[in-house]
Amino acid sequence: MRKLEEVLQDWEAVIGLEIHAELTTLNTKMFCGCKLEFGADPNTHTCPVCLGLPGALPVPNKAAIESIVLAGLATNCDIEKHSMFYRKNYMYPDMAKNFQTTQGPVAFCMRGHLDLDVDGPAAKERGDIAGLKPGEACENVTVTDSGYTAHVGITRIHMEEDAGKMIHIGGDEGRIAGATHSLVDYNRAGTPLIELVTEPDLRTPEEARLFMQKLRQIYLAIGISDCSMEEGSMRCDGNVSLRRRGSTKLGVKTELKNMNSFKNLHDGLAYEICRQAEVLEEGGQIYQETRHWDPTMKHTIVMRVKETADDYRLFPEPDLAPYDLSDEFIEGVRAKLPELPDQKAARFADEFGLSAYDARHLVDHRATADFFEACMEVAGKDAAKLAKPVANLAINDVTAWLNASEDADLAQSPLTPARAVELVKLLAEDAISSKQAKQVFSAIMDEDKDPLAIVEERGMKQVSDTGAIEAVVDAIIAANPDEVARYKEGNTKVIGFFVGQCMKEMRGQGNPKIINQLLAKKLAE
Amino acid sequence: MAISDMGIAQIREGLASKQFTACEVAQASLDRIAQADSQVHAFLEVTSEAAMAAAQRVDQTIADGTFDALGPLAGVPVAFKDNMNMTGTHTTCSSRMLENYVSPYTATCVQRIIDAGGVPLGKLNMDEFAFGSTTESSAFGPTRNPWDLGRVPGGSSGGSAAAVAAGMACVTLGSDTGGSIRQPASFCGIVGVKPTYGTVSRYGVVAFGSSLDQVGPFARSVEDAAAAMDALCGHDPLDCTSQDVKAGFRAACQQDVAGMRVGVVRSFMDAKGLSSEVSERVSEAAAKLEAAGATIVEVDLPHIDAAISAYYVLGPCEAFSNLARFDSVRYGYCEEGHKDLGSQYEASRAHGFGEEAKRRIMLGSYLLSAGVYEQYYYPAQQVRTLITQDYRNAYEQCDVIMAPTAPATAFKFGEIADPATMYLSDVFTISINIAGNGGMSVPCGLGAQSGMPVGVQLIAPQFKDENMFRAAMALEAAYGKAPVAPNFADGKVVE
Repeated sequence: MRKLEEVLQDWEAVIGLEIHAELTTLNTKMFCGCKLEFGADPNTHTCPVCLGLPGALPVPNKAAIESIVLAGLATNCDIEKHSMFYRKNYMYPDMAKNFQTTQGPVAFCMRGHLDLDVDGPAAKERGDIAGLKPGEACENVTVTDSGYTAHVGITRIHMEEDAGKMIHIGGDEGRIAGATHSLVDYNRAGTPLIELVTEPDLRTPEEARLFMQKLRQIYLAIGISDCSMEEGSMRCDGNVSLRRRGSTKLGVKTELKNMNSFKNLHDGLAYEICRQAEVLEEGGQIYQETRHWDPTMKHTIVMRVKETADDYRLFPEPDLAPYDLSDEFIEGVRAKLPELPDQKAARFADEFGLSAYDARHLVDHRATADFFEACMEVAGKDAAKLAKPVANLAINDVTAWLNASEDADLAQSPLTPARAVELVKLLAEDAISSKQAKQVFSAIMDEDKDPLAIVEERGMKQVSDTGAIEAVVDAIIAANPDEVARYKEGNTKVIGFFVGQCMKEMRGQGNPKIINQLLAKKLAE
Repeated sequence: MAISDMGIAQIREGLASKQFTACEVAQASLDRIAQADSQVHAFLEVTSEAAMAAAQRVDQTIADGTFDALGPLAGVPVAFKDNMNMTGTHTTCSSRMLENYVSPYTATCVQRIIDAGGVPLGKLNMDEFAFGSTTESSAFGPTRNPWDLGRVPGGSSGGSAAAVAAGMACVTLGSDTGGSIRQPASFCGIVGVKPTYGTVSRYGVVAFGSSLDQVGPFARSVEDAAAAMDALCGHDPLDCTSQDVKAGFRAACQQDVAGMRVGVVRSFMDAKGLSSEVSERVSEAAAKLEAAGATIVEVDLPHIDAAISAYYVLGPCEAFSNLARFDSVRYGYCEEGHKDLGSQYEASRAHGFGEEAKRRIMLGSYLLSAGVYEQYYYPAQQVRTLITQDYRNAYEQCDVIMAPTAPATAFKFGEIADPATMYLSDVFTISINIAGNGGMSVPCGLGAQSGMPVGVQLIAPQFKDENMFRAAMALEAAYGKAPVAPNFADGKVVE
């Protein structure tokens, strides 16, 4: 199979996402008073309603309606005042009533959008913007200095209930194939779920990944879900089809499931795009089917072939009255909107003079954004000066630390904002090198000590005394006449050898900036 | 007077005067069921223990000297249609599908009757899942009309009507989706009330047509029905379609009909298929109301002819979806040993459901399918809006509408075999469910030819059900309270 970058030169991928998020921050289920709790013993949070027992009736959770309206407002949707629930009829044991309560043609939230900033190597994956200058636009994309901004439409966000969880016993890895029997846990049945459907506006796996990441930041910021992709409280299905560059006709799409991490979302779509390209280039045909991404085998396999459209016999749910949301209600929800990630990034750039790139990546995680703000507060009058190095620390070391473990909690970690500011100051004042700064960061996390104490303890202090460094530089130059000669012949790369020798001599504590300056000066003499 | 002939007032009076205890009333009722129900077959399950326990609670309250703390139905023998959940009882809906299903919870309507002091005698026969007008579609055999055991008691709440008509219970509950309380009340010569949609909680009542179903009482007097309504009505946090209706039904019974405007629908009285004996009695009833001080006005319901068609779209669509949960997986009739889930579903549903249930499920499944839905469901909803508007317009000229309950008196078993003809027997009741109004059937004498009871229907504007109770009281004053069926009166059972 060809590489994604190559494939995307010839083909345009048309991608749409369906993203489910469980409203895990609510106390109770969508239509009954059962507690929402992940990981409880099976079937302990159930009642006649979520078990679909004969005679039971749904009563809607008002807080869930507030949550979905909040989600709609945060994603630039129109809030539909008049909408209702529908019954989607299909039989499966995880759906106790054998119909799912969901919404019909009109959802609570319609016609929204998110703007994605794409930069780095992935920005080159879009063949259609090659040759365009910053500020120039094409389709839903505007080219920027560092890449491009894509305007991605959101068709709708609707409210529905989750199904129970099937556990298949006796087969491979809990799969239904080969299972001898199946169990159902209805704890999850009736969990309030919002489903966001995008327009088919995405063109690369990276855009899909960024969309999902941005949506997750927003949902976390408005506090409606814990958005755990691992535990399945945020799930994403992708629809993807290919067409030749320049064509406007849509190809046959496949639906991709099991993309339960940002990486899987990206890699699954990337694989599927390459697979489709190969099939099409060999004269084959794409079938409308549901495929399963297998991250271990790194391929997609067919789950289900859709020969005809499913007929869910959707009709208005007679047990629930239509909604008539008042302006007062909607405005009340709007007043609860917190600062959203985009707004926060703009404020960081404006208030602290950060680059758009740094500001954007700081808000990738709520934890790093909050951390950055706390540090700026501690820094006080030095805030403007320290903003950039604090941002670097947050984006690089802190983010890596957060990503290393699922339950990493920055607020509870040894890295208090005061320690972080101290560490960054040592670096800014050239008291330690950036390499040493990394060591200090690790030591803070591992040993729970102040940066100054660590630096003292390990004798790490960087030597910036020009006199002392000059003596070493002179000695090294004198001891290596051959290298000096090569340098003078024009092989300037040899300077790296001299820097290394000086550092070694100074046990890593010499200020590399000063060493470099002195070497360049002396070798040129 | 035999206990089996007594109304709520006589039972209360007897308890107050220590003429008998609640336990004695309960025991008499249980004995009566043992004696009479072999003829009538109204009961599917008799809850002797629950009955005696409830009766003992009433007796204890009396012994404690706090008679005034008793609920309005204290010591009153009651029973429930078998689509109503009551913890520990079977709730079969008269279907093989639920033959062994035991309720793990109690319906709000059942709980409210018990909380009011009712003594629960058991669960009552019905048409399977309430699909029918005769109780013949019960998987456990039909109920017989106490007035003539060769005739049907009506349906679908046939067991509920027959139990009251045979003096086996004082008050029973039924459910009415298209006439299932009013028509059997008419056939059995008693009072049956279908309140305005939203008056009584549906929580715990196995759904047929969610937007049409409503629970209501059967009794042998208007005031007894009103007492049950006072206990039943009011918002239930577990049913978000239930409304905060105040308990003013007994109070309404104290008001006369002087100055009340009673609407008569010409197209109802001229309806093809309306038997002359019913027409005569209903016209007579109008005259009695006029004599009591009401004014008779003629009103028009221009879209009423479309009611049955709309009903047989909306009802089956909702039923199809409501009955989907009976899939044999966690409870209910199950044929095991199939190689896959689909085969188990098919076999279990093919043999667990009866003919009429399957007919309605298939009808609903077809009507909701892509391409068909648009042709039937939308027009049916439009008809619903028009009929609701028709009633609203009519009530600008009157306070209550009067109509026949059923086109004829109770017919003989097997007399109507064709489902479409059977569906037409609900012609006078169905539009009320479509519009969501309240309606009740009150006895107005016997048919001249058949000698069987005739019911007149009183139809109230939405949430003004007290209007129909006022008119019903005036009719009861003219005709007297409904008696227990002659062969079962005075505590006797004529075989």
